[in-house]
Amino acid sequence: MSDRFLAGVSGYLPLLRMDRAAAARALKFSNLGGRGAGFRAVGGWDEDPVTLAVEAARPLATRDISKLVFASTSAPFFERAHAPLLVDALALDRSVRSFDVSGSRRCVVSALLDALLGSGDALVVAGEKRPAQAGNPLHLAFGDGGAATHVSDKGGARLLGHASHTADFVDLYASREHPHAYAYEERFVREASVAHIVAPTIKAALGNAGVPADKIVFAAVHEPVAGAWRDIGKKTGIGAPNLASDLAASAGDLGAAHVLYAAALAFDRAAVGDLVLVAGFGGGCDALVFEKTGAIAGTDVAAAHLSSGLASTDYLRFLSLTEALDLDWGVRAEFEQKAQATALERYGRDMMGFIGGRDSAGNVQFPKSNIPVRPDAAGPEKLEDVRLADESARIVSATADRLNYTPDPPFWFGLVQFDNGARVMMEFTDDSSGGFAVGAPVRMRFRIKSRNKRLGFRTYFWKAAPLERPAMGA
Amino acid sequence: MATGIKDRVAIVGMGCTAFGEHWDKGADDLMVGAFEEALVDAGIDRNQIGAAWMGNALDDINVGNSALPLAHALRLKSIPVSRVENMCATGTEALRAAVYAVAAGAVDFALALGVEKLKDTGYGGLPLRTKGVANDLWMPYGSAPGGFAQLAGAYAARHGIDAQDLKRSMAHVSWKSHQNAALNPRAHLRGKVTMETILGAPMIADPLGLFDCCGVSDGAACAIVTTPEIAQALGKSNPVTVKAIQLSASHGWEMQYGAWDGSYVANTREASRRAYAEAGLSNPRADLSLTEVHDCFSITELVTMEDLGLSDEGRAPFEILDGRYDSDGALPCQIDGGLKCFGHPVGASGLRMAYEIYSQLLGRAGERQRGTVNYGLTHNLGGAPFNSVAAVSVFGLLT
Repeated sequence: MSDRFLAGVSGYLPLLRMDRAAAARALKFSNLGGRGAGFRAVGGWDEDPVTLAVEAARPLATRDISKLVFASTSAPFFERAHAPLLVDALALDRSVRSFDVSGSRRCVVSALLDALLGSGDALVVAGEKRPAQAGNPLHLAFGDGGAATHVSDKGGARLLGHASHTADFVDLYASREHPHAYAYEERFVREASVAHIVAPTIKAALGNAGVPADKIVFAAVHEPVAGAWRDIGKKTGIGAPNLASDLAASAGDLGAAHVLYAAALAFDRAAVGDLVLVAGFGGGCDALVFEKTGAIAGTDVAAAHLSSGLASTDYLRFLSLTEALDLDWGVRAEFEQKAQATALERYGRDMMGFIGGRDSAGNVQFPKSNIPVRPDAAGPEKLEDVRLADESARIVSATADRLNYTPDPPFWFGLVQFDNGARVMMEFTDDSSGGFAVGAPVRMRFRIKSRNKRLGFRTYFWKAAPLERPAMGA
Repeated sequence: MATGIKDRVAIVGMGCTAFGEHWDKGADDLMVGAFEEALVDAGIDRNQIGAAWMGNALDDINVGNSALPLAHALRLKSIPVSRVENMCATGTEALRAAVYAVAAGAVDFALALGVEKLKDTGYGGLPLRTKGVANDLWMPYGSAPGGFAQLAGAYAARHGIDAQDLKRSMAHVSWKSHQNAALNPRAHLRGKVTMETILGAPMIADPLGLFDCCGVSDGAACAIVTTPEIAQALGKSNPVTVKAIQLSASHGWEMQYGAWDGSYVANTREASRRAYAEAGLSNPRADLSLTEVHDCFSITELVTMEDLGLSDEGRAPFEILDGRYDSDGALPCQIDGGLKCFGHPVGASGLRMAYEIYSQLLGRAGERQRGTVNYGLTHNLGGAPFNSVAAVSVFGLLT
């Protein structure tokens, strides 16, 4: 038993859910695509592992955070760390220690265990949007999403014990030369990984925690392949439901974000006193045993995201959004949006954090300016930072621009009025009801602002989204 | 104490090319075409031009930067030549500079020429361009119709007007311009269209359909200005004079300060208020004989009627449907077809508007002639409703 806790666990899923049955119908001629059941969470064109991670972490980002770790196997940049982007987007202090982890989908659990074995308040955040080729079963088995956890000396889930096993095990072929994952023969992966890696590690963790297998109430164990939990259960004696399996069916395998998301669902359902097993797989295994001791922030957010969303049967749109189909968007898509590093240095923190300014008369504006926009301002003033990301707001004007290029038409934008007085011309996103109306309330979402495909670069900003999402199945 | 520009400057010559898809002409051809017409009209020698201003909004897809393309095309020999740009208000900006030069006594004759060669882009509509390295980090890349379409929803919300009723009134705006352009041999779009066609057109930016949007054209227009005394010495006994040119530009409050509801263009209101005062028009609804306004989109013309004070707030949709602004109505608007059908070569449009008012004042408008014209107004709008430059000018005869 340790004195380290999970203070929060949360998750975020994009709006769209591809109906795998519809995908199977579209692929029927080829007999490809894998299992045709459940849904696959599909990130919008303006979502990537960074944005998904930011949204997942927002419910947990507090002033206490002194360390941030970003985990992903599909993060967009090489010579640019992603964790600093999260620090700015979450408006954390720049004294926070931060770094990225990657290499396999287990990386996030390894980072979590490292934080639990360390000190201070840490955020471990994962975001994933893994590429796969159309027709490959992984294209529909994967899902896009983010998850986050807050590790602290206090919280609602105490670490009771853990175990780790390191082993190079090739289940997926994916590399810089071949970024689309290619799965090795399923029977081999299931039998070898369960027998030699996952089951022994879980048994060791249970032993270190002093917990019998039948006391585990919920599991969040990353299956090496779908259906492996049954075999893991047999070899470990655990009969608890594995919420990672359920998550894979209803949203897809979220890669590095998967186990954390499943853990959020497990803790959301668990009662105080229940034991929860969390295990990550990939290049080995890390298994952790927790006891729920009290309230845990963010788990309800993760559960709400899973139960809400917009089901889609549009396989072609899915192919386009996942960049499995490269449509020629015409001449308007040729505009190159090259972000200047100098401009990012000057304005990046305010853009990433959605930081406006309050002038001497109390008026809030975005972006900041030397002379406030207030009509009676007489000269330059020093504005006080005001973060707009979590402020409530309404639409003043809106349109669906069908002339402008966007990878997922139409291009919605308009004027947004914040309750604190700020107003900003913004892009809208996540339309789930056929449009945006004047006066409608909106919430802010962190998204990709622009992409420069020629340089492989992207910028981020905030967009206005509907306050609520439809319930899945509604 | 400033006394304004009223009657201090006369227009002695104007020229305007046909607007349209000039696949066979470059910007230099268009500039020469407009200038030679104005030169003949003015009855002066080209070497009498003392200074020139070239209005060109989209230099990167046209003739390149500076005003040297104008000096080269017209072979203006070592006189001051400058390029001005203020988005779609560029044409009026060029005229304003030339008018002020004459009024200041700096030169006897000044040239304002606007030109745009939009059909060298390979596609319809205006090109997407950077908004600046800082703005690019947050500002949406909306298209021009996207920016103006937002007037519609906000206007409907403010005045409680049903969206379908507003759409029908907007359609009448476009229908009217097509009717008028049919009589204009220089107009880009001369075919008449039915209300059903307009209302059933594909959507461009909700609720603006294809026929709610103006044409994208090549073209040039120009004016030669001088003092009223010199104009009279040239034999123009009662020349057209500038009664007012006023310009108002956003300083950011529409987009950043919570007072504007998105349903009108504040700069049009301010520029017109100052223009009426400068021209000495106390009752513009009665004083004006006709208007040429910046009907880049049907909803823009609709709200402009109120912003200019020509319709009461909330009444423009109904007065438009009643025909008040038709060619045979009480106060015709876009009697030449407007941006909608004459076309919109951006840098030339403000001068094209002045060209029509000038022609009407001199009784030269042919089939479009509106009887006796006392005062005509041009309204040239750049940018978008939330970030705009509005130029309002009034023209009339000297006496």
